[in-house]
Amino acid sequence: MSQPTTRSTAPAEASPRPRFAFTRTHGLALLLVIELAGLGVLVPGYLEPGSLLDTSRTFIETGILALGMTFVIVSGGIDLSVASLLALVSVVMGLSYQAGLPLPAAMFLGIMTGIAGGLVNGAAVAYLGLHPFVVTLATMAIYRGAAYAISNAAAVSDFPPWFTSIGQSYFAGGLVPAQLPVLVVAALACWLLLDRTTFGRRVYGIGANELATRFSGVPVERVKLAIYGLMGCLVAVAAMIQTARVSTARANASIGLELPVIAMVVLGGTKITGGAGTIPGTVLGVLVLAYLQDGLVSAGVRNDWGLVIVGAFLILGVLANELFRRAPR
Amino acid sequence: MTPTVDQDRTVTYPPETAVTVACRLVGAGKRFGGIWACRNVDLEIRAGEVHAVMGENGAGKSTLMKMLHGIHLPDEGHVELAGRIVSLTSPRVAEAEGIAMVPQELDLFPDLSVVENLFVGRVRPRTRFGTFDWATMRRQAATAFGRLNATFDIDAPVRSLSGANAQMVEIARALMHDAKVVILDEPTAALTEREAQRLFGIIGELTRRGVAIVYISHRLDEVFQIAERITVLRDGERIHTGRTRDLDMPRLIQMMVGRPLSKLFHRTPHTPGEALLEVQGLGRTGTFEDISFTLRRGEIVGLSGLIGAGRSEVAQAIFGIAPATHGSILIAGRPTLIPNSSSAIARGIIYVPEERRSQGLVLDYPIDWNISFSGLNRISRFGFVSRRREREIAERFRALFAIRSSSLKAPVLSLSGGNQQKVLLAKALVVEPEIILLDEPTRGVDVGAKAEIYRIIDDLAAAGKAVLVVSSEMNELLSMSDRILVMHQGRLTGTFTGPDFSPDAIGAAAAGVLAEQAEDSALHPGSVH
Repeated sequence: MSQPTTRSTAPAEASPRPRFAFTRTHGLALLLVIELAGLGVLVPGYLEPGSLLDTSRTFIETGILALGMTFVIVSGGIDLSVASLLALVSVVMGLSYQAGLPLPAAMFLGIMTGIAGGLVNGAAVAYLGLHPFVVTLATMAIYRGAAYAISNAAAVSDFPPWFTSIGQSYFAGGLVPAQLPVLVVAALACWLLLDRTTFGRRVYGIGANELATRFSGVPVERVKLAIYGLMGCLVAVAAMIQTARVSTARANASIGLELPVIAMVVLGGTKITGGAGTIPGTVLGVLVLAYLQDGLVSAGVRNDWGLVIVGAFLILGVLANELFRRAPR
Repeated sequence: MTPTVDQDRTVTYPPETAVTVACRLVGAGKRFGGIWACRNVDLEIRAGEVHAVMGENGAGKSTLMKMLHGIHLPDEGHVELAGRIVSLTSPRVAEAEGIAMVPQELDLFPDLSVVENLFVGRVRPRTRFGTFDWATMRRQAATAFGRLNATFDIDAPVRSLSGANAQMVEIARALMHDAKVVILDEPTAALTEREAQRLFGIIGELTRRGVAIVYISHRLDEVFQIAERITVLRDGERIHTGRTRDLDMPRLIQMMVGRPLSKLFHRTPHTPGEALLEVQGLGRTGTFEDISFTLRRGEIVGLSGLIGAGRSEVAQAIFGIAPATHGSILIAGRPTLIPNSSSAIARGIIYVPEERRSQGLVLDYPIDWNISFSGLNRISRFGFVSRRREREIAERFRALFAIRSSSLKAPVLSLSGGNQQKVLLAKALVVEPEIILLDEPTRGVDVGAKAEIYRIIDDLAAAGKAVLVVSSEMNELLSMSDRILVMHQGRLTGTFTGPDFSPDAIGAAAAGVLAEQAEDSALHPGSVH
């Protein structure tokens, strides 16, 4: 009784085939190459390293969020509150700095806010047994509302140059944006964590069969708490970079950012119902969608179409997951 | 599947007069691919009899019943109804010919009402205007339930009914066709003792009216209680047909299993060691109460009882899945709190769940992934999983348990039931437990894999582990256990010490009759061994 399985999107070590096989991830990499080639034709100079690297500034924060979101969705959850929490972290940091706290201390406070926000989500999901969609839809409103309330909708923008340089400077001869290494390091760390550790195994287990995972001696609640806590921590990192990049902390930052984040993760091959997905897939999902959006704008397409593309790719991603899942050996 | 010359084979049709044959399978066989699921089976069902069809899992019972019910057409032989050869091409045809089936997994639509369910898949009476004639349908439904002496709200959604009442709906469905033959597949599996007795009353009522009942059950005691004749199948062939009163339980079991029981399960001689697990007055409000027993090194203790008696719940409480609310658990003499499954594993306890697919394994994931899942801490360093050690452990268990698979990277889903069960056992044993709680360890596996699993269990006991086996298969418990505990409605109703068990006394305890009384009254002859 051989049946099609989620082979292409299962954890890397879960591939039942020892020989090379064309997986969904390979398909996505191919898509990225074709896409960049197309943009190279449409926009002269688009493929120059400096240009490509500079564009990465537009998706560092989204990418960091997508890494965390991969854990959340692989475990069978969802987090709609990431953009709101990002704004809250930014505002908490900005206001406490404005109130006289040294900036490093304010940043620390911001990081703590992010982790706490994630843990609140995790606790409601794990210990109250509420559906993550409902929980994070509620905290999406709560965190955004709190950000508006404590800031009175005013922006903080007198950050010192050493801070704003995190999001605005370049090194390696003015080619590499300062924040790019953060995404690279975060991606490597998340890949190791999800693919190589006992924690990662448990994340997959919870997403694929929560009951069997519980019967296997896994403290399911604690793992879920950790997943959302990790998400909150990555939100805080993204908030730092975003605040530095725009030199401003304000409550209406990154409204609607959860949508491209989820679209990138799903496009990267993570099953929306959990149990399958990889960090390399997510990274490819980020690159494909981010360069498409940016490239089309460079090619003269109006910016407003960006959201349409995101929505379309969310559906395409889910559809591709289904197709690859059904494909027989 | 070679035909064996078997001393058990008896083909006796007593020369009785005035026997009306309701239906007959003549030389019937069915092949799947190159394998005959059953072959050359003659089966005669007489009007007004309860005819039990017995056999182990995979013996061909369900294939045979599916031929009677029009799901499979025979590849050889044929079906006769009242002397006329019929071709039952679908369940609908079978039902029109008067053969109905009440499946084990009830086939009802939970959100539709009782009446609506009765008329699903059937020509519904219409009014003059072409709309459904609900008044007539309700009247017919009421009549059907009246014949069963069952009264309940026929407009209620089936979801709101108890399992027993939902089964009544299936039986009423069968009667509305004016069925001459009703096949009952494991009808008591989900019933309480009281509900089962009520069902037997209805069966008696139906047979008095000339309906033939084909009865499939693994519960030997109830077969002896209600069946007039018994047919035994083994490896797809008919081994025996005869009157129940000419049989006793050990002989029936021997015919079903094909060898004396002791050969299926080899119990290595041993002496139990010190007490590893002591359970004192354990209870969980609303589930089970006052459970006390001791599990010693090298001992296999059976836990018997009907489904719903609370057996799995006791095992799961010890494993920390749904912890007990009162009473105490002592491990190696020390009182121990087990709030969750991870602390149970840390204390050397493992539980192998009954539901392999939902509770036991991640079916889409590879074999080695599953085997290592409970014991990740043992094959990891600083939280990083060693794939080399994972592969080694999986290879070791594949060799040890003879798990048949193309690759350890193949998804568990690709394995047969028996091999899945072995993966489940391997997964449990990776954590090197001292106390092993097995819940229905041989459910849904074929005889070959069963024997291998018995060997594994015996090896565990021989290696000084303490083993508790929850099982609904009486002969399994009888042959492997040093002691058998029996539960009924959340309480212990009997403890029996082997090797000479009385199946009747155990059955009585499972039915709620206290053990002391039961051991005096011999309901049926003979005890096994």
